[in-house]
Amino acid sequence: MATDTAGDPPPHDSVSSPRWHRMLPESVWGWLSITPVLLLYTIVALCPITFAVVASFHDVHLLNPEWTFVGLSNYAEVFQIDRFWGSMWRGVLFMIGSTLVQFVVGVWMALVIDSLSRTSRLVSTLVFTSYLVPTIVVTVVFEFMLDPYDGVVHAAGSSLGLWNNFLLGNTDLAMAAVVVISSWKFAAFVSLFTLAQLRSIPDRFYEAAQVCGATRWEQFRDITFPRIRGALAVVVFLRAIFMFNKYDVIWQLTEGGPGSATTTMPILAFKETFQMNAYGRGNAIAVIMFLVLFAGGVLYLRAMNPSQEVHT
Amino acid sequence: MSDADSLGRSVRLSFRHRNRLYRVGLSASAVVLVVLLGFPLYWMAANAVRTRLGVQDGGLLPAPDAVTLEQFAVITDPTVGQYLINSTIVTVGVVLTVLAISLVSGYGLARFEFPHKIAVARFLLLGYMFSPIVLSIPLYLIWDRLGLLNSYLGLILALSAISMPFSVWLMWKYIQTIPESAEASAWVAGASRWRAFVDIVIPQTKPAMIANAIFAFAIAWGDFTFAYVLMPNNDATTFPAGLFRLLGSQWDASWAEFMAMSLMLTLPPLVFAFFLQSYLLQGFKIRAL
Repeated sequence: MATDTAGDPPPHDSVSSPRWHRMLPESVWGWLSITPVLLLYTIVALCPITFAVVASFHDVHLLNPEWTFVGLSNYAEVFQIDRFWGSMWRGVLFMIGSTLVQFVVGVWMALVIDSLSRTSRLVSTLVFTSYLVPTIVVTVVFEFMLDPYDGVVHAAGSSLGLWNNFLLGNTDLAMAAVVVISSWKFAAFVSLFTLAQLRSIPDRFYEAAQVCGATRWEQFRDITFPRIRGALAVVVFLRAIFMFNKYDVIWQLTEGGPGSATTTMPILAFKETFQMNAYGRGNAIAVIMFLVLFAGGVLYLRAMNPSQEVHT
Repeated sequence: MSDADSLGRSVRLSFRHRNRLYRVGLSASAVVLVVLLGFPLYWMAANAVRTRLGVQDGGLLPAPDAVTLEQFAVITDPTVGQYLINSTIVTVGVVLTVLAISLVSGYGLARFEFPHKIAVARFLLLGYMFSPIVLSIPLYLIWDRLGLLNSYLGLILALSAISMPFSVWLMWKYIQTIPESAEASAWVAGASRWRAFVDIVIPQTKPAMIANAIFAFAIAWGDFTFAYVLMPNNDATTFPAGLFRLLGSQWDASWAEFMAMSLMLTLPPLVFAFFLQSYLLQGFKIRAL
């Protein structure tokens, strides 16, 4: 009888080293499994960034396949044009303004949804919708509402004396309008991020605090805030980075205008590349933006150390 | 201790009054939020079903004689129809690619030990820093040379890549919570690693797959930048870039028709937001790590 089973591996052994394990070592399987992602990153990110660096050292015209090596002169040019510093300044203004509005409104929405019992489904559905709705829908609807002839928000604003003509064509107010409209779309990100944290605080903490006679403010200060502080820091950081690189909402609303009133760095990069046909210079701006992002990304990983196992 | 003399107590109100104040503040906040978030959506829907004259009249509620569904006929316009087809193909492609890659890679990260695993996983997070505008400028010429400009494949690759950091991390973290014992007993019964993965692990990842699918949907359905730059041909482009071009063109369309198109683009997100919000929230919880 014993000889019958001798050919088969004992059951215990097959658990610790099943068949797949004998063909290739575990580390090879591990690397194979993440190859598709790494391949995708290489094609869509690493190659283009390398390509951008190379292109930024050349004078490239989009319709002309000839590349002329010009060294650092694209960068020298970029730093000299006053459009660049103006765009940098407006980009930072847009980043700080919209991050601030999104943060305040987003956290407020999260706290309200978390405290509501009956109507919270309505509010949270609206928040989720504004997160999932395409940006173009938001901008088309706001352009309609700001239309000087048929726009309901335009009618309200002008009858209150806030503005007279098309709001997005107003040099002084266009930036503020773009900040508000983009915050309508992106405050939801802050809300959902915060709400996920709020929901993970156990109810018994609040019940215990109520038994001890803590006011709502004290509950917020001593229970809620310490537990969402970390997430709030992360979300401010992510929003600031994303808003600094925001292209679509600004381009759809104003194309950087009127004049250059809403031309931020991404808008400038697009204009230089595809409207001024200075592909090399556009890539130089893209490389500068990437370096800003990369520095931000490294700081994020250093500060947050997001590699712990998940807690269940 | 003076720090403790905070809002609630320094203002000396009885519990009942404070409680009432809190309730009023909460209800007022909810009303303000519903109006701020809901009004643009309501206004879009209300004007999508109005006649051109009805749009000009304004009025918070559409007058009964100005209500019409004829604006939705805009979908039969060949240009608009093509945008919708393109958007659908690209979105389905991105969702399937993201699901396949995140399952395989998430499983690998969760179940295999290999050198530099944590370093690689953290490297994947740098994908959050991929900015569509920064990438699309160099990608434009690369795709042009590879013949991927104006092709579905090119756009699907680009959009899948920017969905990766979130989806792979979510799947990795999620599979860690699934006990390995069920798989192990399948191996004992003679199942291959692949069989056990397909029959035992994948069915259990359903919530994570739903969350990943919705996030990938949101990225692909709403993407403007990549589609605008990488699909310069009007027949190839997706809805967001196409709608933007229509808005700037001489196309004879009224606001009512634009609202009708916007409403059609908003319906899928609205349905997902209503029915699948708990999955999304779960995803955000893991994203916050």
